Amino acid sequence: MAELLNIILNIVRNALRMLSLGRPAIDNSLNINIKCSTGNTLSVGLDPEWDIGEVKNIIAPKLGANPKEVKIIFAGKELEDSIVIKDCDLGEQSTLHAVKLSKSFVKPSSGQLSSVIAEAISDEDEIAVLQETIDRAGSQFYVHCPVCNDLRLGKLRVRCSKCKSGAITVDTDPKSWSDVLKSNKISGHCEQDDCPDGAFAWAEFYFKCTEHISQGENDEAVPLYLLRNNFKNIPCLACTEIKHVVFVFPCKEAHVTCLDCFRTFAVLRLRERQFVLDDAIGYTIACPAGCPDSFIDECHHFKLLTNEQYELYQRFATEECVLHAGGVLCPQPGCGEGIIVDSSCDKVACSNGCGYVFCRKCLQGYHLGECNSLDNASLSDDIHHITDPARAAQARWDEATNVAIRVTTKPCPRCRTATERSGGCMHMICTRCSFHWCWVCQIEWSRDCMGTHWFG
Amino acid sequence: MANIASQRIKREFKEVIRSEEVARCSIRVELLDDNYSELKGEIAGPPDTPYEGGKFQLEIKVPETYPFNPPKVKFLTKVWHPNISSVTGAICLDILKDQWAAAMTLRTVLLSLQALMASPEPDDPQDAVVARQYKEFPEIFVSTAEHWTSTYAGGPRKKEEYSKMIEKLMGIGCDMDQALVALSSCNWDMNKAIEQIFG
Ligand SMILES: [Zn+2]
Ligand SMILES: [Zn+2]
Ligand SMILES: [Zn+2]
Ligand SMILES: [Zn+2]
Ligand SMILES: [Zn+2]
Ligand SMILES: [Zn+2]
Ligand SMILES: [Zn+2]
Ligand SMILES: [Zn+2]
Repeated sequence: MAELLNIILNIVRNALRMLSLGRPAIDNSLNINIKCSTGNTLSVGLDPEWDIGEVKNIIAPKLGANPKEVKIIFAGKELEDSIVIKDCDLGEQSTLHAVKLSKSFVKPSSGQLSSVIAEAISDEDEIAVLQETIDRAGSQFYVHCPVCNDLRLGKLRVRCSKCKSGAITVDTDPKSWSDVLKSNKISGHCEQDDCPDGAFAWAEFYFKCTEHISQGENDEAVPLYLLRNNFKNIPCLACTEIKHVVFVFPCKEAHVTCLDCFRTFAVLRLRERQFVLDDAIGYTIACPAGCPDSFIDECHHFKLLTNEQYELYQRFATEECVLHAGGVLCPQPGCGEGIIVDSSCDKVACSNGCGYVFCRKCLQGYHLGECNSLDNASLSDDIHHITDPARAAQARWDEATNVAIRVTTKPCPRCRTATERSGGCMHMICTRCSFHWCWVCQIEWSRDCMGTHWFG
Repeated sequence: MANIASQRIKREFKEVIRSEEVARCSIRVELLDDNYSELKGEIAGPPDTPYEGGKFQLEIKVPETYPFNPPKVKFLTKVWHPNISSVTGAICLDILKDQWAAAMTLRTVLLSLQALMASPEPDDPQDAVVARQYKEFPEIFVSTAEHWTSTYAGGPRKKEEYSKMIEKLMGIGCDMDQALVALSSCNWDMNKAIEQIFG
């Protein structure tokens, strides 16, 4: 019985398949915006099989021109008549620019922009390999899309840096990330009628997400340029697996990790508070192989973390900024408000936060006269008394990181960050401020101090 | 144990097994569990040092956060060295702390430890008593380290005089380890050693 049913089902399925094969494609037209140099925008449904010549025939009357006088520009290049729409790498709701030719000479275009860009790799062979890879896989730029709020493939686009119009043709193709990321590297010709720079304009590159329908020209994505396709099959520095997409650290050696390992590494260092606040870059980390000058210089790469982790990143970054500016963090549990302090006064009030009033020096409740010695508090075995506001600051961190702070950790004598003791060595190095200190004495590490508690 | 750490250690383990140092019997590693979180290492005492001829066992614990954080390594074999605790076997070596980098491996760690044995850094001591002896009484340091190597690591050089002093202390109720530690840290002064133990 069941068998018979299956046979019937198969017949029906085959019949359906044949029907759909014979049917002409009707529903796959692309909705495209065509922005005219006169200022108005047309929304048209284009058949992907059409060529640009046919598009010109439609557009010309709207510009009051004859089709021969119309120029169609997309992604920094003029499109020739023979180019077919479906080969243009246009997404739904993309914008084409239509320009009525005045007397300006039309240069022959060298094809599509995105197929020509190569990464900043010096070796020419590598560029050739890369070129081939891009041709095969399609150009792949990784971006963080604020609309999808996730890692996406991006498309490179270009506009006039002055009037922001996409009606620009570039003089040369960008050859490296620096051509794309830095301004005033690639010149071009802006066709927008009212552009002040018209004849000589600088191209400005930006990225669009490929995975949601364009929400207009301001819908941009942030390039995550340290993410690359692993066309050289380099194994991950950490787990040694060869993954398709990798994170390439900006060090001279260009060390590579897979994305999972990048995330693991970043979250680990974040929780250890080992990120560094760099004046030019922001709150960041360097290559895990310890290379010099290898800070990740686009902090959007940390968007690769989960939302929760990214929030933690932002909070720590803010806190670090406050400390950097000579401020303090409110030591009350669950508060942690950053407070800029007047260095001539030790009395600090958390006026924008919980209202707690405390001493700038010892972070205890405000008091007159000298602070109680820090040692009294820190030498006591009970590291867990939550009522101690100085420790409560760490408890917040504790709570955020789920690191159990037991007697295996003590606060750094300089910055009070809880530090774990490993392997029985008394020589401690603070993970946050790099202070060298002694586990037993809780003061700066010294040879003399070692001698006095050898058997400690 | 995190996948990254075990995968990485698995590969490093193979690297060490195939290394020329293993071929020369200079280093060795052994797995203690199936998930690669605990290993036992062994390094040969470097030639032309008081550790020559000894085999030193190491405990290697691989943290979940490996290789972004260093492995936790300590000596299981007792050793007399300024940068290694004569009591706990804890090691003071920068690459096991803040100078660790994710590109380092088990093999680099073992070779670095061997290098540390060959050239102590008494200015950043793990064991202050040993460090002081190393600087102030270098000859006593060498014969003491040799004595420890022969007692615990199977080394060839033992001072008859030292053995007799240890026996004497054992005769009055000390155990061997206690006697050796006391005598070594008192620069083989019998009276001071007795004072340290019973005083
Ligand atoms: Zn998107
Ligand atoms: Zn313009
Ligand atoms: Zn990996
Ligand atoms: Zn690097
Ligand atoms: Zn507060
Ligand atoms: Zn105070
Ligand atoms: Zn600190
Ligand atoms: Zn101390």
